Formats: sequence, structure tokens, C-alpha cells
Amino acid sequence: MKFFFDKKNENGEPNKEQEGPLIEFNEVSKKYGQIIALYKVNLKIKRGEFVCLVGPSGAGKSTVLRLLIREEKPTKGHIAIAGRDINRLRHKELPFLRRKIGMVFQDYKLLPNKNVCENVAYALEVCDATKGEIAHKVPKIIELVGLAERTNSYPKELSGGEEQRVSIARALVHAPRLLIADEPTGNLDHDNAREIVQLLLKINQAGTTVILATHNRDIVNNLRKRVVTMREGKIISDQMQGKYII
Amino acid sequence: MKIVTLERILKLGLTNFWRNRWLSLAATFVMTITLLTISIFTILNLVIQATSESVKSKIDMTVSFYDNVEEEKIQSLETALATMAVVKSTHYIDKDEALSIWQTLPIKDRTKQLVTKDSNPLPRSLQIKAYNPEDLSKVAEFFDNYKPLISRISYENNKDIIQRLINITKFIKQIGWIISLIFITISVLIILNTIRLTIFTRKDEIEIMKLVGASDFFVRIPFIIEGALYGILASILSTFLLYLAIHFISPMVSSYLGTVAFDLNLFFGLNFWRIFLLQLGAGSFIGIACSLFSAHRYLKV
Ligand SMILES: Nc1ncnc2c1ncn2[C@@H]1O[C@H](COP(=O)(O)OP(=O)(O)OP(=O)(O)O)[C@@H](O)[C@H]1O
Ligand SMILES: [Mg+2]
Repeated sequence: MKFFFDKKNENGEPNKEQEGPLIEFNEVSKKYGQIIALYKVNLKIKRGEFVCLVGPSGAGKSTVLRLLIREEKPTKGHIAIAGRDINRLRHKELPFLRRKIGMVFQDYKLLPNKNVCENVAYALEVCDATKGEIAHKVPKIIELVGLAERTNSYPKELSGGEEQRVSIARALVHAPRLLIADEPTGNLDHDNAREIVQLLLKINQAGTTVILATHNRDIVNNLRKRVVTMREGKIISDQMQGKYII
Repeated sequence: MKIVTLERILKLGLTNFWRNRWLSLAATFVMTITLLTISIFTILNLVIQATSESVKSKIDMTVSFYDNVEEEKIQSLETALATMAVVKSTHYIDKDEALSIWQTLPIKDRTKQLVTKDSNPLPRSLQIKAYNPEDLSKVAEFFDNYKPLISRISYENNKDIIQRLINITKFIKQIGWIISLIFITISVLIILNTIRLTIFTRKDEIEIMKLVGASDFFVRIPFIIEGALYGILASILSTFLLYLAIHFISPMVSSYLGTVAFDLNLFFGLNFWRIFLLQLGAGSFIGIACSLFSAHRYLKV
């Protein structure tokens, strides 16, 4: 799993997979019981891209993102990350995949028994980070999302927007090569949302691939990045420098 | 694994225990009851065994002779007895020794003074021990041929104690183990469910941990620590309760078995560490096993 996103392979040579797309969906379908959430989705995302995933509620945006961290398995089709079919990953390999990805969950998914600081630190702890690293990185990123005052609060003491920012901080703290943000501005006011988007852009400029699923028309239109539009489990448009078309 | 991680993990386990303190407490109490059941029956078994050994070694037969029987005759009988396979030892008590024993008896001084060196009605006697007290009946048969010489055989009295002991031993051995097994099973089931409940409330937590990249091992460790904590706390509590119980039970045992009482307090004192460590081991094992078993199903994410 070492070579997952790494620029070089184990022998120190440039990784061949480097040349292909970072993410590739090939005829991916996903059913939840009778409900068809995705139908024959094909999608390629290159390294360093910034992709907006838009579409009405229930279009299947979250499902696409959940498949990427193997929270779910596709019913049909293949998903490759850096050239590796992630359906074939063994149970033991999953943590290594997830540690390379930062995910902002639509429902935040904060650990209720941990305060803001501990929640953010957890993403580093699972990677065997040293105490020093944690002490150095965690306060910095909490400051960055504007929660320095709430470091010791527990999730149930936070507002929706604050929880959302903790989730963002946790996704960013270990400097992932791929950032997946599911509706990260859903609960934020206009100014806060803009700040978060600026943050995502900055991270993208530093080389991280970003996938942003959102409903927010203004954000998408101002970004002028690639826009993938979904509807009823299918991709209905894919435009470079696109607009929110629905 | 790095030491930092270990320290972090230990903290996690302790924090989780504290944050679920009521359920944790319930699990600890049920564990305490299990440990108490196991140790009470184990100790009871040990005590009964030790008591019956000590009683057996104390049970003897005293054959008293009329004063007119010649000393040589008694000595020849002693020699004959010594050749019997079942006899462990014989001891001849002459008039002087009988007097000194009399002097040590717990009776009134006035009564004691009735016997002196010059007027000593106490009989001479042979004290006979058998390897197995039940075989004393064979010795009694041997003396059937010498009835005219014998004033008294003190054997009938002891039969009673022997029978009581045999009964208790049988009871504890046969029924005790069945009862304790039933108790252990019930308790393990309760503990399993209690721990499962504490983990069920954390089902989502486990899933989140896995989704942000924690390995199964990393998720499990706090649960292992928690399970061990149940064991550690329960064994401390159970040892303490056991100590109290023994204080209370000890006099009852003494009154039932009379003079051959086994000193439970002393036994507890001498075996304190063994008792405690055994409980600690059993408790931690049950706790960790139940905890891991309950966490298992949620790790599939
Ligand atoms: N666990 C599940 N079980 C059953 N159906 C599900 C499950 N998760 C999602 N679905 C269904 O799959 C479809 C796609 O859901 P998804 O969450 O991907 O939509 P979305 O595009 O993220 O919507 P939103 O913008 O509201 O977040 C929906 O019809 C939803 O009801
Ligand atoms: Mg969604």
C-alpha cells in the first residue's frame, strides 16, 4: 500500500501509475436494496484537479464519495485509485487507503466522546504520528478553520457550522493527497463558506486533488473549475470551467 | 509499536471506561460476583481437603487397660499392633503421662486436684493411629480377642466426625462444581451482554474510527484496556469481599467442625497473593475476551 499515492515506487523509480488518472470509475453501479443510487458511472479525475460534483438531492453524489473510501462497495463496475482496483483491497489494506484520503463527511462523523482537539488529532493518531507532530499540527489547523476558541468543546456543544469545520480540520490535518469534501459548506454562512472554499483552493494549489460535492450554485459558478453534474445516479454533464446548470 | 502510541491507547481505554461509567460499573459488579463464586468454591474445596487431611491425621484410637494388666502384656500387644499394615504409629501412655495429660485438660482445678501422683485412677493406654482412619475398625477387631484386659476403647466417638467430614467433602466435590459452573456460565453471559451494550452505544464511533483510517488493532486496543480494567477492579473488589466473608464464615465453620476447625483467616492470609492473582488473571481474561468478542462485529466497515 505504500505506493498508493506516492510519486515514486518502492525502487525509487517514478511511479508508472503516476501517468494515468488518479481516480477512474468504470461502469460503476450501486444499488441499495431496490434503490439504484448509481447507474453505469464513468469518471476520470487527474492528479491535482479540482472537481465540483453537483446535482439535486439524491442524485448520488455522496454515494460516489463513499465508494472512494470503500465505505461502500459498488454493486457492479470497477473503481481504481492510482491504478489500483480498490474493490480488491483486502480488509487489512483499507486503513492505508483511508489514511491517504481526507474526507469531510456530509454528516460530519465526529467522535462524540472526543473534544475538538482530540477529534482532529485522531486522524493523525491512526497514522502513528508522534506526539510532537500532533502538538504542532493540530492547533494550527484548528486555528485555520477558525475554531481556536472551541478547542476543548465536545461535538454536542458545537453548532452545525462549527462541527462542519471540525470535520474539515480533521480531513486536512494529515495533509492528504486526495481531499473529498461532501457538502462542506452546507451549514456555513456566506462568509464562512467563502473562506472554506478559499482554503480548498489553496490546498489544491499545493498539489492536492480536491473533489467537492455541493449544492451551492454561487460557489460553483465563482470557482470556474471542472463541474461534473449528476442526476438520478448518472453523470449528465462534465465541463471544464463549468457552471451550475440545474 | 511506538511507546507514544501505547501511552495514548492506555489513556483512551481509561477515558472510555470513565465516560461509560454506569455501564462499566455494572459490568464490574457482575464480574465481581463471578470471581466471588469461583473463588468461594475453590477455597471451600481447598479448605475441605485441608481440613479432612488434618482431621484424618488427628483421629486416633485410645485403648485403656485395667490396672491389673501386666506392663509386659501391653507392650507385647503394642509390638503386635506395629506389625499391622494399616497401623501408622502406636504410643504407650503410662500412668505418669496420663497424669500430665490430665493436668492440661480444660477442666476445673478442683476436679484436676482429685488426681495426684499417689492416688492416680487414670488408666494406662495405647494410642493408635492408622494411615487411613477408616481402618481403625480393623484395629478394633484385633482388640476383640483381648476384651477382658480392656476397660475402654475410645473409637466410637470419632466415627461421627469422620462420617461428617466424608459427607461434606462429597457434597462440595460433587454439587459445588456443578453450582459454580452454572454460576460462571450465567455470569459470563451477563458480562458479555453488559459489555456488548457499552459497545453497542459506540457502534457509530467504531465505524467513524475505521472511516478515518484506524486499523482494527487501533480500534480494539481501548476495548482491550476496558476489558482488563473490569477484571482488575473486579478482582480487587472480590478479594476484599472475600476477606469480609471469611471473617464472617470462619466462626461458623469452627462451631460445626468443633476442635478440628480449619483456620480460614490464616489460610486467607497465607494465600492472599495467590487468591488475588488468580482472580486478576481470570477476571482480565473474561473481560478482555468478552470485550473483543463484542467489538468484533462492528469492525467489518
Ligand atoms: N444507506 C442507504 N440505504 C438505502 N438507500 C440509500 C442509502 N444511501 C443513499 N441511499 C439512496 O441513494 C440515493 C443517492 O443518495 P446520495 O446520498 O448519494 O445522494 P446525494 O446526491 O448525496 O444527495 P444530497 O445532495 O441530498 O446529499 C438516494 O436516493 C438515497 O435515498
Ligand atoms: Mg449527499
